[in-house]
Amino acid sequence: MAIAKAERLMNLALCLLGTRRPLSKRELRGSIEAYMEAANDEAFNRMFERDKDDLRELGLVIETVENIEGETGYLARRDRNRLPPVSLDAEEAAALGLAAKVWQQARLAGAASGALQKLRAAGMPEAGDPFEGQHSAIEPRIPVHEAAFEPLMLACRDRRPVVFDYRKSNAARPEQRQVEPWALECWRGQWYLAGFDRERGAERVFRLSRITGKVKSRAGAYTAEVPDVVTVRETVAGWAGETADRSALIRLRSGAGYPLRAKASAVRELGGGWDELEIPYGHGLDAWLVEFGPDVVVLEPADLRADVVDRLRAVAKG
Amino acid sequence: MAANAIDQTRRMLSLVTYLRERPGAHIADVARAFGITEDELISDLDVLPMCGTSFRGGDLLDIDTDGERIWWRNPDASGESTAEPLRLAADEATALLVAARAVATLPGLRESDRDALLRATAKLEAAAGEAAGASARLSVTFESEGGVFADVDRAISERRRLWLRYYSPARDELTERTVDPIRLFAVGHTYLEGWCHLSEARRTFRLDRVAEIRLLDERAEPPAIEPRDLSEGLVQPAAEDPEVVVEVGPGGRWVAEYYPHDSARELPDGGLRIALRTPEPASLRRLALRLGRDGRIVAPQELAESAARAAREALEAYDLPQQREAEDGQGVRG
Repeated sequence: MAIAKAERLMNLALCLLGTRRPLSKRELRGSIEAYMEAANDEAFNRMFERDKDDLRELGLVIETVENIEGETGYLARRDRNRLPPVSLDAEEAAALGLAAKVWQQARLAGAASGALQKLRAAGMPEAGDPFEGQHSAIEPRIPVHEAAFEPLMLACRDRRPVVFDYRKSNAARPEQRQVEPWALECWRGQWYLAGFDRERGAERVFRLSRITGKVKSRAGAYTAEVPDVVTVRETVAGWAGETADRSALIRLRSGAGYPLRAKASAVRELGGGWDELEIPYGHGLDAWLVEFGPDVVVLEPADLRADVVDRLRAVAKG
Repeated sequence: MAANAIDQTRRMLSLVTYLRERPGAHIADVARAFGITEDELISDLDVLPMCGTSFRGGDLLDIDTDGERIWWRNPDASGESTAEPLRLAADEATALLVAARAVATLPGLRESDRDALLRATAKLEAAAGEAAGASARLSVTFESEGGVFADVDRAISERRRLWLRYYSPARDELTERTVDPIRLFAVGHTYLEGWCHLSEARRTFRLDRVAEIRLLDERAEPPAIEPRDLSEGLVQPAAEDPEVVVEVGPGGRWVAEYYPHDSARELPDGGLRIALRTPEPASLRRLALRLGRDGRIVAPQELAESAARAAREALEAYDLPQQREAEDGQGVRG
């Protein structure tokens, strides 16, 4: 039976961490059973390269040096691989325990538990008995449903250009985009990517759910400078109509449209079952007001009134 | 499978450092400390005796368990390789830091929890060193109504019943309900899950739709129910719910992103034909009105008609010459 990958990785890690001098591939192959069992040199080399990459993903710093015989050797020095002293109290440990449960994405969930386990090995205390009512009852969860998330997260991390097909919200067909990814942000349960769009020569924000097909990496460096602060949320809030620059005056049937009332800056009773409201007017307000059907009448401004009438006519035609 | 092997290796590397300090550690305690099941721990303990610094030298880890406690007979044989905890990887630092920062910004969180998170975040950033750098490339914001959050949080810890005035967008109305709170969770928005006495069923309430909230003196006694799996979508239509079919143009494709649906078929014009289920088709009148020229309800017919009727009625309030056209339309149909 093939030797489990975890056993092989563990052996390689222990060998590299335990040595004071670089170990050659030959020596490693002679020490680790799974490598001895490799069918041929090529199979061993492939396996070894992949294992090294995997251990690096786990945080191991593996150095490559020439040993005295001029052979390439590998080692993981203790001083470069140890966790610096970190002292967390039980409250802080409980807080991190809550944070680690947040991810609903396999890679990050695994990484968060792995981090806690390293801290535990470093002596992080266990959260005391969860005394009823001592902590917030909140269970925060970060949903990640998009297949594009993981490749983009890695591309942002490693600063690798990517190519993907993207269908804009109102476009019939997806279009290929070449992007230097900067940052990912989750807002209202949706993931967005900010980056430099090479063809457009400017910053763009993409919604991950609109990426169709695979995200492919491209070789080479970024051509545009990465800004210190990336403001995904402001851009998206603008799309969502959160940034209102004007105000509108509407008539609303009494008792209806609570969310409009909650946003209103002024409410006046008109009598006859109607109120008059002043509300913030940003992108998308026309579509929202139409949802309330005959319970809303737009009074001002004229352009909003015209947009709403236009939309209503389209629906009235049936 | 590959991901499991990586997680298991990561865990075993920490485990050996942890066990070194604790001869005779109890399985149950170690599993709890590592946040894993006892079975997972035992599978690690099966692998560890096959590991060591040299297969041929015979210095494999002599780790053994009687099913209750764990003994490591030769901790020194592995030399320094297991003596110290390992530095955090970039993904590990990112996963923990991004989550901690996100939770710390939740409006309504108890200040003691927020302080602990911020302290832990600062210590973690220092310990992670350059591995913390990449965590700035990922961020998450939770939305919450701070005041309502704090009241729900208190009600849960004091086991008290809540009174809510709650907005239902499907019917555009506010209803008053008493609710026995079960849990408070955030998935983008923040929600209260509880036993609703008005509907005599489990209900999920989005906090930004709570118009008013009061803690009652009565004790909350929600029936014992299985908490729902938050990794599933929050809206889970039932198979017996009536079907609604919507056809949208390219500008209405967002419907497929927002509404859980059974199918979404591409149309030649770049639009979609979306079939979905809802317990209350009338609640989708809002959607039909919102779509305007970007889409229409295909079925059920009553729903399509009720949207058209609502639009015509709404148009009557605007004193327009074209209004006649709309009324004529209605006449023809009638």
